[in-house]
Amino acid sequence: MSAGAAARYHTGVAFGRAALRLQRLRSEIRPARSPSEHLGPPLRLAPRTKELVARHWLEGRYANPHRKVAWVTSGAPVELLKALGFYVVYPENHAAICGTARVAVSIASEAEARGYSRDLCSYARTDLGAAFSGKTPVGRLPRPDLLLACTNICQTVLFWYRVLAEHFGAPLLLIDTPFVYYDVAPPHAIDYVRRQLEDAVPLAERIAGRRLVDADLRRVARLSKQASELWMEVMQRNRHRPAPISAIDQFIQMAPIVEMRGDAVTVDFYADLLREVDERIRDGVAAVRLERHRLLWDNLPIWYRLRYLGETLGAQGVVLAASTYTNAWGELAPLIDPDQPLESAARTYLYPILNRSTGHKLKTMLAMAQDYALDGVILHSDRSCKPYSMGQMDQRDRLIREHGLPALLLEADHNDTRCFNEEQASSRLAAFLEMLEARP
Amino acid sequence: MPLAGIGGIPTRSEVIRAHKSAGGGIAAVFPIHSPRALLRAFGLLPVEVWGPPHVDVSHGAAHLQPYVCSIVRNALSFVLAGGLDVADVLVVPHACDSLQGLGSILIDFVRPRQTVLPFYPPRGTRPSDFDYLTAELRALYTRLQAVTGLTPSGETLRDGITREEDADRVLTLLHDLRRGLGLNSAEFYTLARSREYLPAEVFSAIARQALERPPVPAPSGLPVLLSGIVPEPAGVLEAFDRIGATIVADDFACSGRRLYPPGRDPDPFRRMAEGLLGGPPDPTRGSPIAERLRRLIALSRRSGARGVIFYTLKFCEPELFDLPSLRGGLQRAGLPTTSVEVDLSEGLPEQVQTRLEAFLEMIA
Repeated sequence: MSAGAAARYHTGVAFGRAALRLQRLRSEIRPARSPSEHLGPPLRLAPRTKELVARHWLEGRYANPHRKVAWVTSGAPVELLKALGFYVVYPENHAAICGTARVAVSIASEAEARGYSRDLCSYARTDLGAAFSGKTPVGRLPRPDLLLACTNICQTVLFWYRVLAEHFGAPLLLIDTPFVYYDVAPPHAIDYVRRQLEDAVPLAERIAGRRLVDADLRRVARLSKQASELWMEVMQRNRHRPAPISAIDQFIQMAPIVEMRGDAVTVDFYADLLREVDERIRDGVAAVRLERHRLLWDNLPIWYRLRYLGETLGAQGVVLAASTYTNAWGELAPLIDPDQPLESAARTYLYPILNRSTGHKLKTMLAMAQDYALDGVILHSDRSCKPYSMGQMDQRDRLIREHGLPALLLEADHNDTRCFNEEQASSRLAAFLEMLEARP
Repeated sequence: MPLAGIGGIPTRSEVIRAHKSAGGGIAAVFPIHSPRALLRAFGLLPVEVWGPPHVDVSHGAAHLQPYVCSIVRNALSFVLAGGLDVADVLVVPHACDSLQGLGSILIDFVRPRQTVLPFYPPRGTRPSDFDYLTAELRALYTRLQAVTGLTPSGETLRDGITREEDADRVLTLLHDLRRGLGLNSAEFYTLARSREYLPAEVFSAIARQALERPPVPAPSGLPVLLSGIVPEPAGVLEAFDRIGATIVADDFACSGRRLYPPGRDPDPFRRMAEGLLGGPPDPTRGSPIAERLRRLIALSRRSGARGVIFYTLKFCEPELFDLPSLRGGLQRAGLPTTSVEVDLSEGLPEQVQTRLEAFLEMIA
């Protein structure tokens, strides 16, 4: 690594950070107003979220060749790489940013033009499009020195990261997590994941150019656990009625727990978010001003229609008080044991909701419906996410028939606007909300 | 189906009936990789379910969104329509998100009369993958013990493995010598795919008859290599013959990607794991794209294929992700390619045939 590269990195990051700080201060001086009369005021912390996320991507812009870079899947055991000093890129988060900024389709088209089918996951197409063309709303994505794919969120990532490995000529570390069909993973599956984690260390060390220090790994695992616990607490504050922070807000506020898990700054951020949410409860500030109904959201968000969804529901006094998706980033916190970081990671990373059965997801939804006193469920049937979506038709039927919970299956795609029919979605939502309204 | 000079190959129904009347059980096995020898050791004849193509898919539509591939949609429809009532257990190997969903929906919601046995093969060939698969096979053994009440000995297992390895060896020979067998494409796949339901020893005997006949001159059609999941729906193979193509090699998940080498380990579970993980490159087992490309180029060169046809199923992620890299690599190696997409529930669209004809004209 040259002194020039280090200087470029430090100068670029320092200037960028200063600019982002200024931007944040301006936003704090003139806080944004509610996007709708039906919704509560935006979170005070929102400018800081923006700054934190932007700072992360800013570092990426200057990372090559100053820092070793790893591209990882969202459910990957990132603690190992963090402890080795890698700068970590989450292509799924990047794709979500593209979706929110409504540039995903234009970037995905770059992959489609190279032969990648529109039937493939829209995150993958967005990411591959960005890798092929360099197009990105975050400035520049650093080239990976290492790819880490963990199959605990889907098998798609295996196929996707094989393409990335081919494109970048970077080594691919695979952590294969056998799908958990029943209540518990069999011991040989846990042992298999633990061994893969242990076996990953030498390659990661070689690329990082340094040895893994146990104390560093324990420290990062501890930070991951703390941040996940705080995030869970933030979400659990929605047991309060009215809910202080909607799932729509959670979709935005979850960025740090995904892409900055294991950093001290993430722990501080969620501690502050929790404080603000508590203040909102104390001051009677609600996510939806006249909350009448509370719903659960299942599956990934529709990134390019977050505002539409929030306002449409808010106008009817409906708040999305919980989401299986945001919940997934907090519910595993108890499994993380910083004193046994690899051993506990084997269990933690086997048990995300997406690596568990369709029946388990139904149980989770029912438990959340009770915990958060919910009146119904919207199941986003996400064309791009088969592991999350398969089973939803049976889950919906069980929710309605066996548990008396109104449930709506809403067809869309998390990133591809071409798969979203707003007229159809609006009329289905309207019919569902009317039905909710008519219930005693 | 009678094949010239070979005699009849018993149909699935005949084989199932015969096996049942002899007191055996049937394991309906979904794609892709499964331990046949283990099932046979418990008296269960593995009968594979690739789709099948002719099913009323409205049954599956109550459980699956329209963006799920037809292999899974048809399979679930077949289960719900009673097509697998004859089976005693359903084995659902994990190969992709859609097959994962199928297994999970069957276990949690459909709950068929039969026991559903999921099976997770690993995505690699590292030492940890071999050890895990060995343990996964042992776990499946334990579940089969509970289902059947039987405890097959190590010797029974080893006998079964030997029979399956012999059938795999014969199947590999069939693939290697296919051009001299005097069979058209439909006949070749009728024979090769009878491995999906015939007892290994029966398959080996029939296939040997084909191999022992004097070689005949190779068919005169344009030699092509096919890659994909399964050569369905019905009529596709006849269509290839009709338009003047001869399939000289394949990389189908149901066929050429399952030419398993024999294992070597004395432990039967370890040996089965060696066989399953030793097969040709396969995206669902995590093989790097470069390995797949190398194999396709080698297979094309060896078989004299003039072009490669990717015969993909709609919504099949494992295939669709590799397609651009493979096509690009083959093109660079001087091998023309084309890609067509089909759905098992539909016939072979006219458009696909036209496209194939155009491709053949181009490589002629």
